[in-house]
Parts: sequence; structure tokens; C-alpha cells
Amino acid sequence: MGETLLWILPLIPTVTALLMLTTRDRRIISAIDVGGSAVLAVLTLVLASEVATGGPRVLGIFRLDDLGLVFLLLLVVLTLAVSIYTVGWFRQAVEVGNMKAESLRSYFALVHAFVATMVVTILADNLGVLWIAMEGTTITSAVLIGYHGHQHGLEAAWKYIIVTTIGISFGLFGTVLVYAAAADVMGGAGAMSWLAIMKIAPTLDPGIIRIGFIFVLVGYGAKAGLAPMHLWLPDAHSQAPTPVSALLSGILIKCALLAIIRFQTISAAACGSAFPTEALLVFGLISVVVATPFILVQHDIKRLLGYHSVEHVGIVALGLGFGGSVGTYGALLHVVNHGITKALAFFCAGAAIARYNSRDMRVIRGMFAVAPVAATLIMLAALSLAGTPPFSIFISELLVLRAGIGQGHWIAIAIFLAMVVVIFAGLLHHVGAMAFGGPTAAAGREGEAWSPLVGMLLLAAIMVVLGLTIPASFDGLLQRATEVVVG
Amino acid sequence: MSAETVHTIIDDLGALLLFSMILIVMASQISRAIYAVAAQSLFIAIAGGVLAMFTGNVDLWVIAGVTLAVKAIMLPWVLHWVVRRMNVRREVEPVIPDAATIVLAVAVVVMSFDLSTSLGTVRQAITGNALPVGIALTVLGVLVMATRKTALTQMVGLFASENGIFFTAMAVTQGMPLIIEIGVSLDVILAALVMTILVLRVRSTVDADIADLDRLRG
Repeated sequence: MGETLLWILPLIPTVTALLMLTTRDRRIISAIDVGGSAVLAVLTLVLASEVATGGPRVLGIFRLDDLGLVFLLLLVVLTLAVSIYTVGWFRQAVEVGNMKAESLRSYFALVHAFVATMVVTILADNLGVLWIAMEGTTITSAVLIGYHGHQHGLEAAWKYIIVTTIGISFGLFGTVLVYAAAADVMGGAGAMSWLAIMKIAPTLDPGIIRIGFIFVLVGYGAKAGLAPMHLWLPDAHSQAPTPVSALLSGILIKCALLAIIRFQTISAAACGSAFPTEALLVFGLISVVVATPFILVQHDIKRLLGYHSVEHVGIVALGLGFGGSVGTYGALLHVVNHGITKALAFFCAGAAIARYNSRDMRVIRGMFAVAPVAATLIMLAALSLAGTPPFSIFISELLVLRAGIGQGHWIAIAIFLAMVVVIFAGLLHHVGAMAFGGPTAAAGREGEAWSPLVGMLLLAAIMVVLGLTIPASFDGLLQRATEVVVG
Repeated sequence: MSAETVHTIIDDLGALLLFSMILIVMASQISRAIYAVAAQSLFIAIAGGVLAMFTGNVDLWVIAGVTLAVKAIMLPWVLHWVVRRMNVRREVEPVIPDAATIVLAVAVVVMSFDLSTSLGTVRQAITGNALPVGIALTVLGVLVMATRKTALTQMVGLFASENGIFFTAMAVTQGMPLIIEIGVSLDVILAALVMTILVLRVRSTVDADIADLDRLRG
């Protein structure tokens, strides 16, 4: 059962994408959208319970272990929330002319094709398949980023496709080098399987693995938005349609992190854990530092959230870099927390932009008066993103910090803390001004539609629960995933 | 064919690849850069054929054929078509002086060879000097993309960069799995298609080169 599901899972969004092309009716398109995402979520939960009881599932090039499961669960939850959110979002977008009604179905087909490529990225055991699927996510999402068809969107799409394609060319080179090293030890057959490479990893030549890991880290790091390869990220996140921004920030950059983690484990086994963790530490610190000034001076709300994602990817890299079971656990928890919270923040930003017809935070004022629910949620999301207790991100940041203290990385911790405090002030200043005060004249006065709100509330509920308590089953999953990385 | 002969042939082809890469870096006209990258792909297809004969690996014949059809013929043809379609008036526009680019390029080549001589056992896993040549090509392709402002030159740089990876992958003694190579080729084609569409869409709406747009800042 579990093995068959591994093949069925990527097929669900693929079939959903194809079904989209058969109809033009908006209601039917929405029904297929939500339905496809719900089926994907249910099947993933079935698979999750099988993996929890029976261990990793393998079928050909696909393999799902606890590490992949963390990312897969995040993906399906976000996909479902995005589908629910989109029902109301695109109705509004068509009304104001941001989306053309006749091209809607290709938009939805592309979103599900994008989801399908991400599912394959997470399930891939074969490192070559991982690369192919990663390039697939670039191609599908580049079209989505430029979907509005105006000049800025196309510029962002171009920058995105160029930077990430160069990036993952480097990733492919690293993959080839790791393959060459593995094939030298075990022969060509199966030398691309992560599982097979892990079994012989201690005997691999450390010299070539080291070069291979640097290529992979720079390559997939570009896709993950690690500075200084992050240049595409704020543009793409700000120009993409809002539901796509939520997917990009919530899960796509995390898929690239998963790829980095896979190579990190190989590299740690071949040349000791110090080398990959130090490399991750450097990139993590650069990301946190580089993102800070841009967050402070930003006026475009979606760009603000984009730069903020650079910071948080940096924090995940720091967690992996501090290493040990605490740091890795914290990093994985942060992946989930940030994914959920950032998607929620993008949803709220989308609702605000639709209401004020502007993405300039100087125009968006007094949201509480005109959209109380969305305003409350954006305040909650901002408090969580800034790292205040009792929200989920506070816990994962604390774990990362504790790992750093445990390892004695004092300078890294000092820089990290300073940046987090500055960003805390900057973010709350921006969002506080948006939520409170008197609404500007640009504010729309219509009531809040149910569909975006349901999607937002779903994510907000998960965010709050994860802040208050980590359920035992989820904690067990994270523990086992940490063991996969740390060994 | 003896192993030495193959090594010599691969090294000779590697020299030709580096030479064509220098032509791409130097090219003052976009059409010359396109011819150079087509020639480069042709050399890689030949390398695939030579390695296939030597190792008896049938997969390599397929890979060589795909490289010839896609990268040496189809993609250059598409690029030429876009050049005509866009009626390119401006040619390659370097961001930094050509002399500086050449100095950087030479430094990259020297460093690639230096890096791979420091590796011991790996040299058995990859035939001849394919590893340093591959690293040099990959990095030089990125150099071309970073130092040119026109969209088409950036695409040429990207293809050159991927040529470097293909060359190294072919020369891995055990060969790459065929299905992976096919998948990678397919991705390259799709990426080229999407890039072409983006270039043409911008050209048709604002009459500007997409790589020249710089409204998104800060």
C-alpha cells in the first residue's frame, strides 16, 4: 500500500493539472483545485502513518523517510490552504483585471504542475531525479511569476529563471562529482541513489566530495535564497500572484534546503561533519546580516516578506550549521514554522493589497477599522515572524540559539541575536502602522469574503497550536528526521 | 582503441572546448557566440561518440546523438531565429572591459586545473582532463552571463555552462544513467523555451531587452 502511494502521490497534482484544462467554468475549476489538494493531503496523511509505524518506504527512484515526510506534510498543508485561499482571491483578481478570465485554467494547471514537481523533489531518492525535478520547479514557477504579464513581473521572472538555472547548474555539477566518487567505489549502477551512497559514504574520496558539496551548496543555495545568491528572491516573491508567493516562500525554498541537507549528510559521512556545517554557518550568517537593512527600509509589503524569507532561510542554515541534534531539530522545526507563518503573512498581505489596491505600506493604514479579521491575523503572523513568544517561531529560534551556545559559537550568536532584535523592531513597526490608526481614503469598505479567511484561519490555527505545544506524533517525526541527518 | 588514445582524444577535445569558450567570451556579435556554442556542443557530441566506442556503453551513443540534435542543432537554430525575429540592433554589451573579462577567464582556467591536480584518486574516476575543463566551462559560462547585459548572450552563457557539466558527466568512467541525461536535456529544452517566450513577450510589449529591465531594486 505504502509503496504504491509513492507513485500515486506525484500523479495526483499532475492529474489535477490536466483536469483543469478540460473546463472553463470558474466554479468547476475551483472545485477541482480544492479537491485535488484535499486528496493529496489525505493520501499524504495515510502515507505518513505508514512511515511512522513501518519505517521508510522505497519504490524505485522514490523513497520517503521521516526527513522527507516533514517537508511533504508542510507542502500538502500549504497547497490545501492556498487552494482554499485562491477561491476568493482570484474572483477578486478577475474583477479588478489582474487576472484574465480566459487564461485562468492555465494558471491553475501550472500551479498544480508546480506542486507535482515539488512532490517529486521531496520523494526523489535518486539525486539525478532530484535535480531534474528541481529544474522542473524553476520552469513552472517562472511562468507563474510572470503570469500577470506586466513588465515588472516579466523582469522578475527573467531574473528568477536565470539566477536559479545557473544556480542549479552548479548543483548538477556537484551531483556529477558525488556520483563520480560513488561510482568509483561501487560501480555505476545505483551510484545515484542517496540511500546507496549513504551506505558507502565513509569510503568516498573526501577531496572530491568537498568540491561537490561546495558546488551543491552554492547551487541549491541559490534556489533556497541563501545570500549572496538571493538576488532573485525579493523580486520573484513580490511580483508573483499572492498564492504563488506563498508557495514559493513557504515550501519551494524549503525543498532546496532539503536537497542541501541530503548532500550535507553524504558530505558529513565522507569528510567529517565539521566541513559541511561550517560552510552552512557562513552562508547562514551572511543571509541574516544581508537581509536586515533591506527589511528596515522596505515600503513594498511583499518585498518586505521576501527579504524576511532570506533571513529565515539563513536561520535554518544556522541551525544546521550549529548542528548536533538540538540544532538540526530546531532547523527542521523552523522549516515548518516559517513555512506556515510566512504563507499566512503572504495571504494577509494579499488581502490588504486587494483592499487598498496598493502594495505600499505607507498607503495600507488602519486595517483594523476595515478588515478586523485579516488585521488580527497579520498582527499575529508578524508577532510570530518577529519571534515573540508564545508563537511557534520563537521556539525554533530558541532551539537554534541553544544549539549555538552548546557548541560555543559566540560570535555567530552575537551577530544572530543583534540582527533578530533589529528585525523584530523593524517588522513590528511596519506592521503596527498598517494595522492600527485611521484607514486611508484608498481603503475598500466591503466586508471580508469567507474563502480567503478560511485558508488564513487554517494556517493561523496550526501556527498557534505549534507555538503552544508540539504534538507527540509530530515531535516523534522530527526526532526521527533529526536522526536521519545527524546519524 | 587504447586507454591512452582515448585520454589524448578527450584532452584534445577539451582544448577545443576551452578555445570555443574563449571565442564565446570574446565574441563581439551575438551570432558568432551562437556559432561558437554550437561548435562546442558538436565537440561534446564527438567526445560522447569516442567514449562510446571505447567503453562499449550503448547509452553514450544515445547521449551523443541527443547532444548533437538538441544542443548543436536545435537550440542554436532557435537562438538564430530569435535574433532575426527580434531584429537585434545592439550586439553583445559587456558590463566590464573585454580585457578584464579575458584576464578573469584565464584565471578561472588556471585555477580549475590547479584545483583538480590537488585531487588524488578521483582522477581515475574521470577520463583525462575532463574534470578541470568541465569546471572551467561551467564557471566561464556564468562569467559570460554575469558580464553581458543582453538576454540572448546570457542564454548562450547558460548553454556553455551546461556543456561543461555534460562533458564531465560523459567522462565519468562508469557513465551517467541514461534516463538522467535524457531528463536533464529535456529540462534544458524547456528552460530555453520559457526564456525565449519571456524575451519575446517583453520585446513585444515594451520594445526593450528583458535583461536590461532594472525597475526592481532595493
